[in-house]
Amino acid sequence: MTLAFAACVVALFLLAGIGAPIALSMIVAAIVYLAMKGQDLGLAAEQIIQGLYDSFVILAVPLFIVAANLMNAGTISERLLQFCVAIVGRFKGGLGHVNVVASMIFAGMSGSAVADAVGIGRVIINMMTKDGRYTPGYAAAITAASSTIGPIIPPSIPMVLYALVSDASIGYLFLGGIVPGVIMGAVLMALNAMMARRYEVPLERPVPLREIPAVTVRAFPALMMPVILLVGIYGGVTTPTEAAAIAAFYALIVAAFLYRALNVATIRGVMRESARSSASVGLIIGAALIFNYIVASENIPAQVASAMQGLDISPLAFLLAINVLFLVLGCLLDASTIILVIIPLFIPTCRALGIDLVHFGIVSVVNCMIGLITPPYGVLLFVINATTGIPLRAIIAAIWPFIGVLIVALLIMILVPDIILWLPRRFGYTG
Amino acid sequence: MSALARRLKGLAEDVGAALLALMFATFLVQIGSRYVFNAPASWTLEACLTLWLWVVFWGCAFVLGERDHVRFDVLYVAVSRSMRRAFALVSALAIAGGMLAALPATWSYVTFYEIKRSAVIGIRLDVVFSIYLVFAVAIIARYIWRARAIVRGGDPDVEERANP
Repeated sequence: MTLAFAACVVALFLLAGIGAPIALSMIVAAIVYLAMKGQDLGLAAEQIIQGLYDSFVILAVPLFIVAANLMNAGTISERLLQFCVAIVGRFKGGLGHVNVVASMIFAGMSGSAVADAVGIGRVIINMMTKDGRYTPGYAAAITAASSTIGPIIPPSIPMVLYALVSDASIGYLFLGGIVPGVIMGAVLMALNAMMARRYEVPLERPVPLREIPAVTVRAFPALMMPVILLVGIYGGVTTPTEAAAIAAFYALIVAAFLYRALNVATIRGVMRESARSSASVGLIIGAALIFNYIVASENIPAQVASAMQGLDISPLAFLLAINVLFLVLGCLLDASTIILVIIPLFIPTCRALGIDLVHFGIVSVVNCMIGLITPPYGVLLFVINATTGIPLRAIIAAIWPFIGVLIVALLIMILVPDIILWLPRRFGYTG
Repeated sequence: MSALARRLKGLAEDVGAALLALMFATFLVQIGSRYVFNAPASWTLEACLTLWLWVVFWGCAFVLGERDHVRFDVLYVAVSRSMRRAFALVSALAIAGGMLAALPATWSYVTFYEIKRSAVIGIRLDVVFSIYLVFAVAIIARYIWRARAIVRGGDPDVEERANP
């Protein structure tokens, strides 16, 4: 490690640590590095501009953001929820199950955990806490936990970011996320069932069977969305980036013409909000690219790889250690920062140890999503706190069992790679 | 915030939204031309990437406030008010200083592309990339302004309350 690189890392940690925007901290740290190396300071701009301007894949990110905001504004999320209440609301711990199942279906339409928490979170939390059946903390915690499934079941913004830094195939990453997403849903529902029994949560009034066809018809166009996306991508019809645009377009048409829930003012609001999020994510991507350029020119990932090989560490031990590291970092850092900046450090090590990059990618993304609900820095906790007003302390007190079962699910995925790789292999993945 | 500043900010947000909407529409044209009319348009991809670049840097220059950025504020919110002011001042000076130091080289990087045009549409690339200069100058100005306000006794968190 050179002195310039050490200064760069110190500048980054110092600035980001005292609360400066992380993206700007990365750019300034990169400029410090270039100055100390006596290199052209314009290189920072060059890397950021070329990185954003050259990658077709990145366009999926703003398009998925638009799609998710359109679905939330266009009552698509709400109808989905009513459908889930009719189907699984009748069982013990009903609304908790509704929460998880709705998140799983929503995950098949959107690629963002925050969109999931905002979209169905507020409505389901109101339903759960009305009449005091569930404590606000519990309702918020299960909502936050189930939102982590959003980017695991495809489509997925974090997986697009991972594909960007690892060169793994987005199509196979998306496929690899389906079974893990279902497993996460299953462990959350198991925990919810156990809790409902222990605290004797009263049963919901079941939606009469004869009303189910009507509710289904109302939700049908929304339910078709995951189907269209998956058939589009895996029928070989569209690329994942195009699928993102089609998802947004479909949401627009359904919400505007079928559900008549959009007008010019709401669409303007959706676009403003989406442009804001896109700019913020885009700057992080750009800043991470210049930072990764520096890390690569310092040859850090290769050094990490040779150090790991020197330790003679087994692939499994490496995976377990790296996951502990990511979980700890997840308590402090934002998921996109971990995926764009920390993960590239370990990609060459994975290659050297023969770890499959799709397996590593899914495990890392699941890990980072758990990071979204681990205090003190858990974006999903903040979002739910901001949209519902439930105190952070109450949410955090109730979140631990959910984090626990999700870590168990993560461990299973680490130990049994076939859970992840089975589906991609059926579609021709040779890894 | 003054009425004029609010109007300008609203306008900036609408420009960002329009750029994004245009990008979305262009992407749909691309899909339509390829799958529906079976005659892939070649200009759409380039237009999308150009618009994406502009969405990001326009937004970061004129729309995003301090709070809209991803920040690690665990430490920031835990310290005392005067410490917070010091944190905010150091951040602002470092960001403005760093971007300012790189500005001349950035300028020559962007203007160098005067001689090159984009492959399909043929827009001069210095025009395409110029939004980065706009972003750099806006960031420098904003953080100098912020540093000045903090030195004069302003509350570093006020701007955040004004733009929720």
